[in-house]
Amino acid sequence: MIILEGVTKTYQRAQGGGEVQALGRISTSIKGGEFVALVGPSGCGKSTLLYIVGGFVPKSSGRILVNDAPVTGPGPDRGPVFQEFALFPWRTVLGNILFGLREQKVPKPEAQSRAQRLIEMVHLKGFEHLYPKELSGGMKQRVAIARTLAYDPAILLMDEPFGALDAQTRTMLQDELLAIWERDTKTVLFVTHAVDEAVYLADRVLVMTAAPGRIKADLAINLPRPRRRDELLRDANYQNYVIEIGHMLDRPAAA
Amino acid sequence: MARFGENLPKALAPIAVTAGLLALWQGAALVARSSYLPPMTEILPITVSLVGSGEIFPDLLSSLARLAAGFGIGLVAGIPIGLISGRNRAVEEFIMPLLGAFYPVPKAALMPIVMLWFGAGDLSKVLIIILTVSLPLIYHAQQGARAVDEKLIWSAQAMGCSSLRRLLIVILPASLPEILIGARVAIVIGVIVTITSEMIVRQSGLGNYLFTALDMGQYAMTYAVILIIAVLGFLLDWLFEIMRRRLTLWAPDRQGIEIAVTS
Repeated sequence: MIILEGVTKTYQRAQGGGEVQALGRISTSIKGGEFVALVGPSGCGKSTLLYIVGGFVPKSSGRILVNDAPVTGPGPDRGPVFQEFALFPWRTVLGNILFGLREQKVPKPEAQSRAQRLIEMVHLKGFEHLYPKELSGGMKQRVAIARTLAYDPAILLMDEPFGALDAQTRTMLQDELLAIWERDTKTVLFVTHAVDEAVYLADRVLVMTAAPGRIKADLAINLPRPRRRDELLRDANYQNYVIEIGHMLDRPAAA
Repeated sequence: MARFGENLPKALAPIAVTAGLLALWQGAALVARSSYLPPMTEILPITVSLVGSGEIFPDLLSSLARLAAGFGIGLVAGIPIGLISGRNRAVEEFIMPLLGAFYPVPKAALMPIVMLWFGAGDLSKVLIIILTVSLPLIYHAQQGARAVDEKLIWSAQAMGCSSLRRLLIVILPASLPEILIGARVAIVIGVIVTITSEMIVRQSGLGNYLFTALDMGQYAMTYAVILIIAVLGFLLDWLFEIMRRRLTLWAPDRQGIEIAVTS
């Protein structure tokens, strides 16, 4: 359960002083096991909000509670997945996945078997001993997802995770993520600027305004699960959600 | 248009250049007929016998020992200082002006003062070597640490990796390619300053051997020692480069790494 109460973020401008407000009073709550997508125009602060929940970036004011405890910094209950993959380039696929397990002091035999299971789950069998630079973008993101799932965070914080991938890989990974989520019932906060992706994946879509970002709409996506792409694409409800949210984003901030 | 040497295998080019220079030297020496410029046919046999008889080994080893001590201590001191200053603004603001002021000073020029404080012996020489090799190590470690992707650090933080551990298992390996570039510079200028310090405080080492030969008017011998020093520097750099490539096979390729040498 994530609760945000009046969370704001103000940056100090690098030169010449002055402040820039990136986020203006964000309040919402996310239930355990919920899949929430955060969409908004670029520069609206949606990633910043995700980083604040992760504890990577401090908030300027307001309150954030994760399972009733205030967020003071990063923790293994909130696992990030970044658009840039952020793999440790000096470690192999296996080494990356084992990294968090070692930090969490998981006994070696268990860490090994957990890593092997994850490698199979993200279809990287046979690639364990390759370095990140030898992998394609899609494979890198699979490793990053496996690395985060390895230490079993209750909450996944995904920052445009499929934004750097080609369309085909992107749909494949979306389906794999849904399969993982449907089985593991994790809470997911998913930042994206792709409206169709948000509607396809999420239980709820939060639409943000341009900077300073505020939540402009909070829509429940009532589409059946498990979701099947070909059925959804023909579903009028799906199409309406995509069109409706698309319109919200098109409208200029002043209107 | 076909350029000269284009068809030569790449590996042959340096050998050809070296052979050309040696031949040029030989020709000049034969024309000049001066004892100050002995011909290669005289220098090379002396070089071979210095190494072959093992006569040069005690001095070679004492130079190498000083270099190794200075380089080792420089690594152990310089890398942590560089990494921390690359990640911590306060430390950086303290270190950078010192580094900037100190970098252009030829470290051998400090030798008299160091000798005054620490005596005319190995301690002073090694200190000067440490001072020399630390600077590029600190500088490159700092550059490397500063450039570490924030999201690598965040990823480690989320796994519960403490800040001291992060320095060791995230910042250090992530900065390794840059650190090793600094280390390569450090080795090359380390050789320079080792020899220089032995010329200033003449007790043992290749620098001392060189000046002894000069003092005794053994000019061919002097050139032979210079040749040995040059080959030593070349070999150390070559060996280090092999090791550097091994250690950074994982790193995305970088092209055109420039090595700037100052001392």
